[in-house]
This record gives sequence, structure tokens and C-alpha cells, in this order.
Amino acid sequence: MKAWQIILSGVGGQGLMLSGNLLGSAATVYEGKKAAMTSAFGVETRGTFAKSDVIVSDSEIDFPEVLKADVVIALDMIAYKKYADSLGEGSLLIYDESFEHIDCKAKQSAFPIFKIAKDKGNPAAANIAALGILVKLTGLVSEEAVRSAIRDEFGTRERLVDLNLAVFEAALEAVK
Amino acid sequence: MKKDIVSFAMGNEAITEGALAAGARFYAGYPITPSSEVAEFSSIRLPKLGGMYIQMEDEIASIAAIIGASASGVKSFTATSGPGFSLMQENLGVAIMGEVPCVIINVMRSGPSTGLATKPAQGDVMQARWGTHGDHGIIALSPSTVQECFDFTVKAFNLSERYRTPVIILTDETVGHMREGYVRRELSPGEILNRKEPTCTPADYKPYNFEAEEDGIAPLAAYGSKYVFRINGSGHDESGDPCARPDNADKFIRHYTEKFIKNRKDIVEVKEFEMDDAEYAIIAYGCSVRGAKAAMKLARENGIKVGLLQLITIWPFADLEVLEICKKVKAVVVPEMNLGQILGEVIKVGQNYTKIAGVNRIDSQIITPYEILAKLEEVAK
Repeated sequence: MKAWQIILSGVGGQGLMLSGNLLGSAATVYEGKKAAMTSAFGVETRGTFAKSDVIVSDSEIDFPEVLKADVVIALDMIAYKKYADSLGEGSLLIYDESFEHIDCKAKQSAFPIFKIAKDKGNPAAANIAALGILVKLTGLVSEEAVRSAIRDEFGTRERLVDLNLAVFEAALEAVK
Repeated sequence: MKKDIVSFAMGNEAITEGALAAGARFYAGYPITPSSEVAEFSSIRLPKLGGMYIQMEDEIASIAAIIGASASGVKSFTATSGPGFSLMQENLGVAIMGEVPCVIINVMRSGPSTGLATKPAQGDVMQARWGTHGDHGIIALSPSTVQECFDFTVKAFNLSERYRTPVIILTDETVGHMREGYVRRELSPGEILNRKEPTCTPADYKPYNFEAEEDGIAPLAAYGSKYVFRINGSGHDESGDPCARPDNADKFIRHYTEKFIKNRKDIVEVKEFEMDDAEYAIIAYGCSVRGAKAAMKLARENGIKVGLLQLITIWPFADLEVLEICKKVKAVVVPEMNLGQILGEVIKVGQNYTKIAGVNRIDSQIITPYEILAKLEEVAK
């Protein structure tokens, strides 16, 4: 397996560290792979640009930040614009279908990320919808490993386990 | 059966787990980014293990509290970042002079002063060495992975207990906040060192009589035990009583440095990568090791034979290991997120033997493999 370099981007408060954490847990705890995650965020709790870099590989990961992204997920216009402006060929930029499209060098795909989360009960779970789309498109970790990581993360809070699993399943189905 | 747990966790969490695995049961601190998760995890985990967590009013009190707790026999630690580490310097001297084991975690952020709170730096290297006044030795360890956060914290407590000294974990925002898979090992009893306790009668106990010991380290009794003694930040004699005699001052101040020099072999640790056939070397520590490893591989793909020396102990400085490399290679590159604090030490050791160049960033962005590779290509011309 090649080393996947993923950026989960948006604004603070959207759960980009949580979804990165789930991806990393799925890879390391459940599949014995290597994963590293670093995050960038401002001093604000919410509302300004934030991202998590996640690298998943079968071998040791040296540099822990993404140098050339394979996939970038943008959950906010700020992030979408930033990466539309900077990504080159060879990267895939995934964004919400409600964002105004920007032409760019990278390959792009729009998905109803927020709608999937909203339809299952909570738009705040858009980070999990994005994770489902990423996993379905790339296969970088197994779907079952992510389900296990979600169950671990939310533990005894059954309502949250059910919500996040439902959003994850809906996102998998949304990718044709 | 021993239980090893694999988890995907932050460096700061692994540091906390390393401390607990090593036997630490007391934490006092004042939360500060990017070290706050050490306080957070300690506050959750310590009470469950019968330990104690106290949030203090500031960092001066935090280190005072861990010195006190350690003096009563409990392995103790605190965590902070640059601004708090500055406040701790005076009492760090008390722990050095009083020879009280404790572990101080400094998750470095960009400075000076409050600097950039959420951004990494490696600017406190010399502060760790010389921040508190007066001649003294110190031990500082610098992890570069989440696994090393766990492993080196265990080592920090062991060294602290064995040599009756504060030990500093000098990590940085990148490593502290980075998440990676790591194994939380259940340590066997043989992997955990505890301070030597006195066996003499209380009347005969001298807490600073290091010369009477084969290993040069005096046993340390616990406050509240049958041994009654004082820990003194002022010049003291073997009994801990104030003493300003020149010969006594000379003996003890030398001891605060020499105990590390005499035990150098046990303390100083480095890791070598691809050094066997190397014509060029990178010397790195902490987060800069990550870019250095990637640069080493890129350089080898480009036909430049590069090796890497990772400093696990920053202090005492690995001068013999660095010298050996400087004698062997055509040039040495030292990447660090400051303006050359370890570079200066490498120059001191190796300038007569090889070309030495730094790769330095102080803009809060970690040093990329490409920047280190460019410097390697420049020195290899």
C-alpha cells in the first residue's frame, strides 16, 4: 500500500481532529498500519481555518505533515478556496455541493456532505460523512475498522454511536 | 500476563502514560498550551491510581509542590511550556541543589515571552541547560515520536530517581500534539528504578553524604518517615546543615556537575541511522528528526550517502558521539527550530574536523525534508 497523504480541512469546531483521530485509530489499532496526524488551528476555539493532516502507510512515517496531498476534504468555503488555489494536479479536492464551484488544477468532487449528516439527525456530524466518503473513494482503511473506531470513540454514549454510524453508512452509500 | 495496549494517541497523552507507568503518582501544574493535555490526562488518570492531581495557582508553586511531594517519597511531575518554564527556573535550582528527583515536561512553543501559543519551536534548549543560575549539570531528553514520548518519560523518571536530579523532557508542540499509534507497554518491575533509601539509623542519616556511597549518590529518605532531615537550597554540608566553608562549597558544586559526567555512559543516549557508510551526517533531536529522516532517504535516492544521529539526551550533550561522527564525515548538517542552539555545541566539538552547517527556522513551521536536503546538496558540492 502506498502512503496516503490526507488533509481534513474546514474551520475550528467542525470536528476535523475527531475525524482524523478516527481514521488514525482505524489504521493503527484495527489494521496494524502506521498513521500520523498533525493539526493546525488558531488560538480561537471556533470559526477560523483549521486542518488535520493524516498520513496512513504500511511503513514508518518519517515526516508527519502532508507534503503533497492525495486527497483534501474541505468542509468550509475558507478551506475550499485555500486548496482550490494551491493544489496541483494529482490531488483530489472533495467539497460540499452547496459551495460555489471554483475551477482549479486538482481533480474535484462535490458531495452532499452536510445534507447526509442533516438527514441522519445532525449537521454537526458532517466530519463523519466526509470520513465515509473518503474511505469509500480510497479504501485506505476498511469500513469495518472505522466502525470499530467510532464505537470506541463514543463508547457508552449509545445515541452518539448510532448517529455517527448512521451518518457513516449513508456517506458510504452516497459514493457511487 | 503483561498487557500491552496499542492506541492512536497524542504525544502529550503518551508522556502522561509513561509517567504513570514509571510510578509517578503526583502531578501539580498550571495548564498552558501546548502542554495542557498532560495536565488533563493526569487529572483523569491519577485519582484512579490512588495518586493526586493538583492544579496550582502558577508555575512557581507547581514545581515547588512536586519538589515537596517527591521529598515525601512520591514520584512527581509537572508540565508546562516556555512561559511557565521561565517561572520554574528558580525552583529548578532548588531541586538541583537539594538533589530531589522530579520530572519537568516542557512542551516547547514559539517564544520569547508568550510568543505563538499553538505553534512549535525548539528555542528552550539552552534554557534547559543554563536557565537556572549557578554551575550545575542537568538531564534533558527529547522525543521525536509518540512512542518515544512514552519510552523517554519512563527513562526520565528512572534517571531522576537514580541520580537524585530533576530531569527535563524537552519536547515541542509538534510532537506533543501529534497523534501516532504507540504501544503502552506494561513495564516489568525491573524496568522501573526507585531511589535508594537509607538503611542506617535515623541518628546516623546524612542526606548529602555522597562520598560514602559507591555510586556517588546519597540515599534519600522520605519526609514523614523516621528520618528527620532538611533539604536546603543554600550551601549545605553532608547533613544538610547550612555551610559556607569554601572547601565544602567547592566539593558540592562540583558534585552537581560531576555526578552526570561520571555516569555519562548510563545517561547519554543517541540513535544512529545509516551511519555505516555515511559521507555526510545530520544531527537532530525532537520534531526535527522527522524531517531529517525523510531528507536522509531522499539524499540517498539522489546518490548522497547521508546518515543521521538522533540525540535522545540533549543534556548532557553527546559530545563523544558527535566528535566521532565529525571525524568521519565530510560535513554535518544540524536542523533545529531555533537559531543554532545545538549547532553551537556541535561546532564546539567538531569544528576542527568537518564542515558544520545549520538549517534553522523560527517562523513556527517545522523544518521540511526539502530544506534539509537542499542544505545537504549545498555542503556536498
